[in-house]
Amino acid sequence: MMAAESDAEVIAASLTEPGRFGAVFDRHATVVFRYLVRRVGVDDADALLGEVFRVAFEKRAVYDTARPDARPWLYGIATNLLARHRRGEARRIRATARLLARQRPADDPADQVAGTLDARELWPHVAEAVAELPEEERDALLLYAWEELSYDQIADALGVPVGTVRSRLNRARVRLRELRTTIGREP
Amino acid sequence: MSDEFDSLRRLRPDRVHPDDPAEPPVFEREKERLMSTIDDTRPGPLGVMRMPDIYPRLAYEDERAALEYLVRVFQLEEIREARIEHGEEWNYTMLAWLRAGDGVVMIGHANAEVHRIHSPRTIGNTTVQMMVFVHDVDAHYAHAVAAGADITMEIEDAFYGERRYEATDPEGHRWHFAERFEDIKARGGTVPDDA
Repeated sequence: MMAAESDAEVIAASLTEPGRFGAVFDRHATVVFRYLVRRVGVDDADALLGEVFRVAFEKRAVYDTARPDARPWLYGIATNLLARHRRGEARRIRATARLLARQRPADDPADQVAGTLDARELWPHVAEAVAELPEEERDALLLYAWEELSYDQIADALGVPVGTVRSRLNRARVRLRELRTTIGREP
Repeated sequence: MSDEFDSLRRLRPDRVHPDDPAEPPVFEREKERLMSTIDDTRPGPLGVMRMPDIYPRLAYEDERAALEYLVRVFQLEEIREARIEHGEEWNYTMLAWLRAGDGVVMIGHANAEVHRIHSPRTIGNTTVQMMVFVHDVDAHYAHAVAAGADITMEIEDAFYGERRYEATDPEGHRWHFAERFEDIKARGGTVPDDA
């Protein structure tokens, strides 16, 4: 039995047989949709999902076929497209933080990180920190922390050198660390 | 793994909110739309969509703002791989192609020297009206209004069997959006009794 074709092979084949591109949708639509929902909510995600794959289809000729997995590339296209829908993002993050602050702390390692801090204190601060990050830092950060992409994959997705990803994440890391220190000092 | 990002990981919306049920309709619908787009596309030598044999070029003073507006407010779809950009921030110009259904319109910087095309804002008039058929003109109209469009003719049922409205973009190009009664009926909408 032959190994399944890589995304790169499917995309290359779709240059002469466009219908083959449907497989890219079948493989990745769920992941892309969930990412969009996390970033912009279900309504905008609903509207954007198809656009991600139409843009991908239009750009398939410039896909770097040295990359077997198309997922970072699709994440990059999705990230570009959701830029128009960012206005609600900060609001959504704050709302999630409020919801989290109301939940009873569970046996979650992150709650141990929070230590003895009252969740009502912590989560709104985290939300503010994320909401106030420059967009490019937030994109890199959320691809890392929520989507669990590697530095290389994020570089690929955002079309920037891996060193840039590293410095964006480091800046975000410093901000979040400062935040922990600041809140930690509060009584 | 424990680092500065743990709290952020915990803040991932789907870990906080109850899981949204999977939504097969969006996947089916979008797969179908994607495949129909693909079928309609005649790839050129680079896999770039081949443009129709006739389409207009509209001139803008600020074509970058126009592109943003036309996509956001009028829901045109940019054919992204076609975009051509020149210059730096201070002398930036751009050509972009936008699609609605099977139609294409090109937008670019007003060009007084070579092509002698001007933005309506500069000359105070326009000589062209873009005729665009859309799916669900009612929703299209509502979206445009919500996005702050300058509606220059209210939505109405025209006697020749189309529902239509007109809007004028920020530089004065006039856009006419319409949907045929038969298409309105097909999507379960209502049309005038005598239609």
